[in-house]
Amino acid sequence: MKEVNHMSIYKNLAKKREFRTLIFLAVIFIIVGFINTDFLTIGSIQNTLKSSLLFIVLVVGLTIVLLTGNIDISVGGTLGLSAAVCGLILKNGGSIFVSILAAIFIGAAIGLINGLGVTKLKISSFIMTLGMLEITRVIHVIYTNGQWVENLPAGFKQLSQMNVLGINVLLIIVLAGITAIHLFLTRSRKGRYFSAIGDNIDGAILLGVPVQRYVIYSFIASGVCAALAGLIFASQIGFISTNAGLGIEMTVIAAAVLGGVSLSGGVGTVIGATIGAVIMISINSALIYMKIPAFWNDAISGLLLIMIVVTDAVLSRRADKHIKKERLKARVLKEEVSVNHAHAK
Amino acid sequence: MHMLSKIPKWNLGLILVLILEIIIFGLINPRFWNISILLNSFNDFIGIAIIGFFVTFVMITGGIDISGGSIIGLTSVVIGILSQVAGMNIWVAIILAILAAGLCGLLNGILIAYGRVQAMVVTLGGLLLYSGIAIVLIGISGVSAYEGISGFPESFSMIAYSTVLGIPSSILLFATLFIIAYVLLHLTKYGRYIFLTGINQDAADYAGINTKKVIASTYVLSGLSAGIAGTMLTSYLGSARAEFGSEYLMSILTVVVLGGTLITGGKGGIIGTALASIIVGFLQVGMQMGGISTQYIGLATGLLLIISVALLSISSSAKDNMKKLLGLKI
Repeated sequence: MKEVNHMSIYKNLAKKREFRTLIFLAVIFIIVGFINTDFLTIGSIQNTLKSSLLFIVLVVGLTIVLLTGNIDISVGGTLGLSAAVCGLILKNGGSIFVSILAAIFIGAAIGLINGLGVTKLKISSFIMTLGMLEITRVIHVIYTNGQWVENLPAGFKQLSQMNVLGINVLLIIVLAGITAIHLFLTRSRKGRYFSAIGDNIDGAILLGVPVQRYVIYSFIASGVCAALAGLIFASQIGFISTNAGLGIEMTVIAAAVLGGVSLSGGVGTVIGATIGAVIMISINSALIYMKIPAFWNDAISGLLLIMIVVTDAVLSRRADKHIKKERLKARVLKEEVSVNHAHAK
Repeated sequence: MHMLSKIPKWNLGLILVLILEIIIFGLINPRFWNISILLNSFNDFIGIAIIGFFVTFVMITGGIDISGGSIIGLTSVVIGILSQVAGMNIWVAIILAILAAGLCGLLNGILIAYGRVQAMVVTLGGLLLYSGIAIVLIGISGVSAYEGISGFPESFSMIAYSTVLGIPSSILLFATLFIIAYVLLHLTKYGRYIFLTGINQDAADYAGINTKKVIASTYVLSGLSAGIAGTMLTSYLGSARAEFGSEYLMSILTVVVLGGTLITGGKGGIIGTALASIIVGFLQVGMQMGGISTQYIGLATGLLLIISVALLSISSSAKDNMKKLLGLKI
């Protein structure tokens, strides 16, 4: 009896998309580890995780938007703008606390505008956030006069370098945050509203979910996450160029898709998306450890993305067909049984 | 009457905007009214317009293609490597490069239509993959990525700089592809199939239309057009680089959406896209001539994109409401 239980747990796990992604990540690590054992040292793994922190934070926010069936392309612009604002405040002698608050406020404001555009003006989220991406980029350049923000105070740069028991503090905070968000999105009633909206918007309306409000919340969450990522960027890199975060949105969307988040909404978890982000960055550092020139990066991530998504689509369709067949069989067999009963009588 | 009155009104609005734009920019800088400057400015946005024509096809079927910009870069690099590094005849290199662009589109189309994967996801993968391949090609061939490949023969640069009867070649290309796209979409059976597929794919399937083939073909056309755009851009700028076209994504989608094509599919037109591409192109030229720094151009296009979509959705929902009200009264 117990074994059966174990079996079903394994089966359930194997069916989960995140689990497959995790295995894929493990395979990358093992293969690269064989070629260059340095890749598997704790230091190197922590470095990979540290450099993926930024992407993890971005992808968590994006996932909440994707769950509602919308998309947020503006994250790269929000990241750059909020990092620049935070950097300039710091340079002009503002306190770290104020600069962080300002960045988060900007992220929330951009998210709010996106959300209002999508819900009230009924602009498709792709177009709305694409326009917003361009607008935030221009505002960033105007605000900084087209110059890089450099020489951030050491105290601020220190924030991303603090360690507790040899583990990066920021990493711990982010992982704890992801766990909390995951529990909120899957266990709490209000958290599940997000995927309910993406799964079936009319159904969600009928159930009394305040759809528009929650879509706006999701965009605000994504904006705030992008601002936090901007802070991490500023603290880790130490300077903000005018094209900070340029093109990052495509990597982040790819990461979410790799992690099993559906672009049509309702399906996916932040944990899966996080694993997806780690994969995207691992590919980069794996190439370095395998001594493959960096110009292969985009080609390999693009190819992987297409392959994984197509395999996944084919697999899930086959599974659907199988389930339908089983159901049909069950129905037909039942009828036969009842027919036999009738004969017996 | 209803069918007719809907789209042309939007086009009429676009024509008005275009006239206003020409008047305003001309008042700011009278040089803008110089016909030859205006005609030559087509070179700056011909790529956006050409790809826009065929992304309109894609969008009418209910899909989206964001890989066009990276196909431009790939075509450019393929032309450069085949002709300058491998020493091939330039015209053969161009044909092969445009074919390669068509293959990229074919891959997109097959995965979307037959693999039934979301268009956004596939073309996002394509965006990374095709520009990735371009970067790899540059990397392998040992050309400096910063300088790109140059030294093309004189005849190649004539593609962008020659004139026929005083008309710049970019205008001729614009007109030719406009006519091809218009005829294909609005005057042939194939075009009707595209609209039907976008309005209701299941119904189109039941009507005996091979919707998968129709959908896949629109991506091939979009890829080919990106190939032509890449050739044109390489000839215009005189060098081949992997990052050409990487910032085209926004403008292409702006042009299509501003042209009145619904992002959800089923509705749209080539005339709208053509007008919108001229509006966006003149906007950029006009802002540059008006002494407005180039960095503001993105702001203008971004706002234009959002406002036009908002107007489209508001006007259609207002119309629906009007209909409901009228229906109640009658």
